Amino acid sequence: MRIKRRSRIAKNEPAAAQSTNVLLAAAFFILVCGMGTLVVNSATPETADYILTWLPWLVALCLAASFVQFVLVHVKSRPNLLLFPLAMTAVAVGLVMIARLNPPLVLPQIRWLLIGMAVLLVALRLNRRLGRLPGNYQYVWGLLCLVVLLTAIIFGTEIGGSRNWLVIGSFRVQPSEFAKLLLVLFLASFLADHRSLLTENKRRRVPPLRFIAPLIVVWSMAVLMFVIQRDLGAALLFFSLAVTMTYMATQNKAYLLAAFAFFLPAAGVSYLLFSHVARRFDIWLDPWQDPTGAAYQIVQSLFAFGAGGVWGRGLGDGAPLLIPEVHTDFIYAAIAEELGLIGGLVIIALYAVLFFEGIKIALAADNDGKMLLAAGLSAMFFFQSFFIIAGVSKFLPLTGITLPFISYGGSSMVASFATLGVLLSLSRGK
Amino acid sequence: MNIDRNDNKGDIRRGITQTAQVLLLLMALLAVHIVYLQIFAADELATHPLNRRHGQIVAGVMRGSIFAADGAVLAYSDDTGRHRPLNESAAFVTGYASEKLGSTGIENFANYALSGENSIAEKFGPVGKLFRSPQGADVWLTVDSRLQRAAHTALSGKRGAAVVLDAATGAVLVMVSEPAFDPNTVDLDWDSLNADENRPLLNRVTMGMYPPGSTIKPVIADAALAEGITSDNEVFICEGKLDVGGGYYISESHEAVHGRVKLADAVAESCNVAFGTLAERLGEKRLRSVFERFGFDQTGADELNWNAAHLPPTASPLDDGDVAQLGIGQSYLLTSPMTMALTAAAFFNGGEVMRPYIIDRITDANGDDVLKTKPQVYFTATTVERAEKIKNYLQGVVDRGTGRGAQLRGATIAGKTGTAENPNGEDHAWFIGGATVGKKRVAFAVIVENGGSGAEAAVPVARDIVAAMRDNG
Repeated sequence: MRIKRRSRIAKNEPAAAQSTNVLLAAAFFILVCGMGTLVVNSATPETADYILTWLPWLVALCLAASFVQFVLVHVKSRPNLLLFPLAMTAVAVGLVMIARLNPPLVLPQIRWLLIGMAVLLVALRLNRRLGRLPGNYQYVWGLLCLVVLLTAIIFGTEIGGSRNWLVIGSFRVQPSEFAKLLLVLFLASFLADHRSLLTENKRRRVPPLRFIAPLIVVWSMAVLMFVIQRDLGAALLFFSLAVTMTYMATQNKAYLLAAFAFFLPAAGVSYLLFSHVARRFDIWLDPWQDPTGAAYQIVQSLFAFGAGGVWGRGLGDGAPLLIPEVHTDFIYAAIAEELGLIGGLVIIALYAVLFFEGIKIALAADNDGKMLLAAGLSAMFFFQSFFIIAGVSKFLPLTGITLPFISYGGSSMVASFATLGVLLSLSRGK
Repeated sequence: MNIDRNDNKGDIRRGITQTAQVLLLLMALLAVHIVYLQIFAADELATHPLNRRHGQIVAGVMRGSIFAADGAVLAYSDDTGRHRPLNESAAFVTGYASEKLGSTGIENFANYALSGENSIAEKFGPVGKLFRSPQGADVWLTVDSRLQRAAHTALSGKRGAAVVLDAATGAVLVMVSEPAFDPNTVDLDWDSLNADENRPLLNRVTMGMYPPGSTIKPVIADAALAEGITSDNEVFICEGKLDVGGGYYISESHEAVHGRVKLADAVAESCNVAFGTLAERLGEKRLRSVFERFGFDQTGADELNWNAAHLPPTASPLDDGDVAQLGIGQSYLLTSPMTMALTAAAFFNGGEVMRPYIIDRITDANGDDVLKTKPQVYFTATTVERAEKIKNYLQGVVDRGTGRGAQLRGATIAGKTGTAENPNGEDHAWFIGGATVGKKRVAFAVIVENGGSGAEAAVPVARDIVAAMRDNG
């Protein structure tokens, strides 16, 4: 990593770098205040002492984040400086919430964060190789994605209702978290390469099969995940990414129509055939039919939203633990309850800005592949945050998916930082 | 689609921009949905019975006490639990608060205040914590514990209800329904209470629905005077029964024949022939309008949830027999004792009926009022003149008519007896009216289910309650 001299940076855009440093400092401030509140509010001295044992790790985390920011500010062909502090703000809120909801998971989460930042720094160096998109490796990405997903489908172990975990010894990983990155890489390179073919056959309603076959494979994988793994969240994410990226590349509304022509019957058939799909949908339509049984989780989540109101009940003063699995998929409901509508809207705004910055990177990129890749990765962050926030607030049927940078989960965290790293490297100039 | 094929890069940019706009719009919709959830739907969700959060907050708060107007404690909490020293005498006033069964009465209505929640703590989130107290607020009621006990004793062993209102303010002084339950042991007794065919869990004051019988006659008299279809001087000839057509007759109770009676005598002697005649003259429409004028269609709200009267169906016009029957409070008409107490209150408060209430004030841990009820006019039933006139008729009932048993030294009682035929056996005994004790003017309604005649079963109950008022100053 070649690092620029500070004086030259200072000449370029000192104000921008400084303001993002302030945002990063704000993230640290959230972390310190949040943890401090938990110490002060702790019921017993033992709990307070337990939180204080994290101190060296929290310091390490802040140092690591500062180092990453330092690299980003000083690296040649400067990357976007807003993305990382934004992500760290989400990380700070997430870590405080995990400390409040499930303290034993804080140290593992910090470890994953440190690994994630290392991965980010590695991904940051990809910019030269990514420059050769499209064409190169497109089928390698595609096949890798397939292999990873099929491994999960064939050897998957069921944890928490979804058979999407690989367990190797004591090491557990969710392959779909990484497969989605490969999927975006594949779609970006494939679509950039075949764009002309996919768009030029305007007079023929359906492009030649060999051009759309890979898209159909992606769709089938989504259906397989849906049916075999019961992983509705990943399936929906894959499907949405395929649809939006295809549309971005071709701007042909026929693909949108085709996608829905695939999606609706598939959804209808799975509703009829698979009880778990039917149950999810029915719960969404009317959770009050069975508020203490099947719809327990979503009803508890809605109660959390109501209890939070505008200002929230205050960190540590709500009862979000009434929601099962609150520290992973339902962490947004806990935020809504304790930090209120205000805190929740800040989180939504944060994802919107993250997405917006990602799209800016896409629009500034110098070739089709990079543009699609950056837009696809941004859309990935978007869809993940949108689907899970919509799910826990009953805006859409619930699909289990993690909230990027906030939910607890090693695979999710490392994958999110890898994605962020690729986005950052795409933002680097030549 | 107008695509410039030479500029592929720009083309993709357009696709990305379009998609991003749509997606950001979706995010904005989601934000609107969450604003709705946390602002507009928040109260309903936060106070939903299945939401266990309230219970968790309350667990750390010492529940406030409920006091009677005379200072007696109706309910209090200590380390051993919740106690209601009046037991059954105030069962329907305090109600119960049970984890298993939910809550009723004031324990239910004032639950928020009693459990230390207040609107400031609710609205300001974390800052509101500063306003939260480990001691729940105390609720001060208008009922008098001594009168509650007197009414409970007077009605014990019977099925019935007694309600007494301060005619000038609407404050509920007595609300007793028998048989009752012990709110301290309701969890243990639940199965037997629920199985008891005498229905001890039913608050008969608000939920019991009975034909008003002759207690409707003051209302009919008011309507007849208001419409000018009779006067003080008209003489009714009572030969013991009234032909209402179709081969049906309205007859007098105990086969009495009242002979020549004026309106005042007809009230005093409870002459069915005179009131059947007046009802026929008024007709269905004017009868309905007088019932409305006296608030029969009103349903209680907040801490007093009484049923509105059941009025005759409007689908088809009533026949003459039914119209005449309405004049003596039979046929389709069903009313709760609370409705009849409000009716009586009209004559003892110059025609104006005050909104009944039972919570006088709520005080926080420092003893400061967080709520204080101001008496307010509920509706105007009749004019000052007619109220005064009918009050005098009701005085006649006690001085020389069917209510002579209510005569009491040291207090003035006036009222109207009722003996209501019903499909469930023996007649229901009614007595509604008012009393003046010292400076206090009250209105009351008493019913004893299947008690026989109003004069025999209901009048003594009212008399005992007023006697207790007199004795307790």
